[in-house]
Amino acid sequence: MANGNAAEIGASIITFLTAKGIPPTQAWLQTFLSSVRLTTPVVALQQTALFQIRNADLQTSIIRSASTVLPPGITDPEAKEKHIRGPITVQVLDVEDIGRSRWSQVEAIEAQERGETTKGREVIRVVPEENGPDSTAAVDEAKSAGPHKLLLQDAGEAQVYAMEMLPVRGLGLQMSIGTKLVLKDFTVARGLILLEPRNVEMLGGKVEAWDKQWREERKQRLKAKAGMREEG
Amino acid sequence: MPNSRVNRVLCVAEKPSIAKAVANHLAGGQVNTRNIRGNPYVKNYEFQYNFQTWGACTVTMTSVLGHLLSHDFDARYKGWKSCDPSQLFEASIEDFVEESKQPLADNIQAQARNCQILYIWTDCDREGENIGTEIRSVAVKGNPSLSQPGKTVRARFSNIERAHIVNAARNPIALDEAQSNAVQSRIELDLRIGASFTRNLTLSVQPMLRQHFGNDDQGVISYGSCQFPTLGFVVERYLRVRNFVPETFWTIKVMHEKDRIKVNFRWARNHLFDRMVVVILFERCLTAKTARVTKVQTKPTSKWKPLPLTTVELQKCGSRFLRMDSARVMQVAEQLYQKGWISYPRTETDQFDRDMDLRALVQKQTQGGDWAQFAQGLLNGGFSQPRSGHNNDKAHPPIHPVNFVNPTQLTQDESRVHEFVVRRFLACCSEDARGSKTEISILYGGETFSTTGLTVLERNYLDVYKYDRWTSSQELPRFQEGEVFEPTEALMDEGKTSPPGYLTEPELIALMDANGIGTDATMAEHISKIKERQYVETRARVRGARQDDDDEAASDGEAAAAPEAGRGRGRGRARARARGGRGSAEGRGATNGMQEFIPTTLGVALVEGYENMGFEISLTKPFLRKEMELKMKAICEGRKSKAEVVHETIEQYRDVYIRTQQRLDTLRAAVRKYCFGENA
Repeated sequence: MANGNAAEIGASIITFLTAKGIPPTQAWLQTFLSSVRLTTPVVALQQTALFQIRNADLQTSIIRSASTVLPPGITDPEAKEKHIRGPITVQVLDVEDIGRSRWSQVEAIEAQERGETTKGREVIRVVPEENGPDSTAAVDEAKSAGPHKLLLQDAGEAQVYAMEMLPVRGLGLQMSIGTKLVLKDFTVARGLILLEPRNVEMLGGKVEAWDKQWREERKQRLKAKAGMREEG
Repeated sequence: MPNSRVNRVLCVAEKPSIAKAVANHLAGGQVNTRNIRGNPYVKNYEFQYNFQTWGACTVTMTSVLGHLLSHDFDARYKGWKSCDPSQLFEASIEDFVEESKQPLADNIQAQARNCQILYIWTDCDREGENIGTEIRSVAVKGNPSLSQPGKTVRARFSNIERAHIVNAARNPIALDEAQSNAVQSRIELDLRIGASFTRNLTLSVQPMLRQHFGNDDQGVISYGSCQFPTLGFVVERYLRVRNFVPETFWTIKVMHEKDRIKVNFRWARNHLFDRMVVVILFERCLTAKTARVTKVQTKPTSKWKPLPLTTVELQKCGSRFLRMDSARVMQVAEQLYQKGWISYPRTETDQFDRDMDLRALVQKQTQGGDWAQFAQGLLNGGFSQPRSGHNNDKAHPPIHPVNFVNPTQLTQDESRVHEFVVRRFLACCSEDARGSKTEISILYGGETFSTTGLTVLERNYLDVYKYDRWTSSQELPRFQEGEVFEPTEALMDEGKTSPPGYLTEPELIALMDANGIGTDATMAEHISKIKERQYVETRARVRGARQDDDDEAASDGEAAAAPEAGRGRGRGRARARARGGRGSAEGRGATNGMQEFIPTTLGVALVEGYENMGFEISLTKPFLRKEMELKMKAICEGRKSKAEVVHETIEQYRDVYIRTQQRLDTLRAAVRKYCFGENA
């Protein structure tokens, strides 16, 4: 398809992304198509599109329809239990390790800020390497056993909490904010989505600005929460 | 090579007690004891001995009192204000014999004149190797031929039991120059670094303290490259305790009564810090109504006997089981060694050599003591080869009893430490304790809960090692896999996190050990030093829930513990040398005697002052010192020379010194904040 026409390419991208659970809006698709060279092989364009849409805000990039958003009333605490078939794509707005106290997480962050980590009783100096942020993420991940509680958002109006009932690979504090998940065949209890490996597919992705802000504010947020609990 | 005849040998031990014991073993009672001029403790023991290497000889056995040489700066640098402290990094150092030691040096020099062989009997460790070279340097002044190869030898021994000593006398080896060099570098580095930083620190801070408190009590404020990281650990924990914020957590408890036994099941998630989530999960349990047994498993289990005893372990156990601080335990162990009851107490080795006749050592303990019967039991078939740890310093075996002693011959402290060493040794030679452990898991509303039961079947080593506890739990009723039941009780409960305890001595020793601060032989001294300097204080830990997490220094103190009411929080200032201000805790029952460390205001100020300077490498962190210890090791193993190590290390510290110098205001601010209570 050396001289592919825009409509055909657009259609193939829609088909591709829809199969992945991320049907793009026309507006997003147009912007995308105008930013790439249409002479590029379609397979490569599909991959580029997938990469970019994963890093975009779901709210403006995915079609809103009854089948792509969570059903109304999902956050209703009066509803004891609901089953939802899906698949529905959501993005991560927040993640918390609820298996550890906030304060212990604050302490871990502060040790990291001092350039230290511990291995058993040994205090180890973290020598900043070129891939600095990654190494700190690795430290964080190692200590974050979960379970994790997430705040998820769909393409529509819903923001809903989810809980990691069984460990889900790739889910944790090292995960970027804006990560996309596809949920299918899952249970919602009193407004809380119950996650297990069998009902979550991690698509990955990251909304850079959100992620940056989330990481910058994480310590403050944990401190505030630790303190708040204590007052109550 | 001229094989000149040997007929006179000079032996020199590290302490008088060892000289005396060795002389008696070798001479078999025929000893002439002579006083030496100018020192009442050191004696010369003269006797005849037939050495395997040299034949029949006349022997003089004498001793020193630890190090023979002292090292200090040239006179022109001695005055505190004689020079800029940084000049001490390269100022010339003199080696000399201190006045009090001069009679010992004179004695060795005089005795050396007539002999052909100098036989060193210092303790077999780095320090002993260095003292050996000091003795040689003095002896050579009286008899230059002793510097020739093979003329100065040393004995390799690790206890003063007779057969062991005789064997050592037969097999002389060479002095280990590398180990001696390592000690020399350490001495030089400690002197230069200690003096320069101490002067700098004292000149910067002492006048402030004197002015503020209007007196001249404030003495030297010393710096030591081990002391400061040791203090750093204490302050770090102190601040963690002070800054701690308690948090609420929630849990689900399930109890089921069967066969008139109430069984408590523990939630696999332990507890969570989110109420909403726990409420929802709890509701799902209640909705499910019934629980299903998913696992019933009984398997053999054992509690392992302890590892052979090292110095660090002895010190930790001393605080924990005998309520003696590490310095005291070492002092007592040293006495027991000098009297010939236990092996050399400074060792890193936690494995017994396969060739050692352990049964013979056990045999000696059948002569008496509360453990005699147990020891006999080992000989009657209960013996089992000790476990092997990962450490071997290749110099000394693990600490063990070498002879039987009637406890009535010992002082109270000696007998307690001795008892511990004996019991530990017998435990090592015994079988692990054995039991059977049953685990039952249930699935209830999607959540897993479990309970375990333990039945101790054979106590084995526990019978002699009274310091370990392992007891059977309540018996569990029979459950079948797949069995479904409605739990008698399920409830949601909440608790609060509690702060970690202040650092205890076993924890501090473990931290120093893991971070390379000091050696097993010197840790206790560093701890005493920071107490003596009034950087920290100790007090008895209050008996309470926290006592359990001694072994969990690294845990984040989230045990569900009693509420910590009345605890002042916030960035508290340390109580200046005042005791017992910790709110209600003080009144809450008996202490268990274990000491915990609390920094003084000065201690906190020093740590925070240096840390706030914001360097990559802080003096209160273990990193620099650890590097230095590793370099000492490199010298011992021949990978680095003394000159290289001294040069590299001095440059590192000089760099830190210069940067510290530029930010002394930060240190002064910390002193004002903590010692004077001014707001930063």
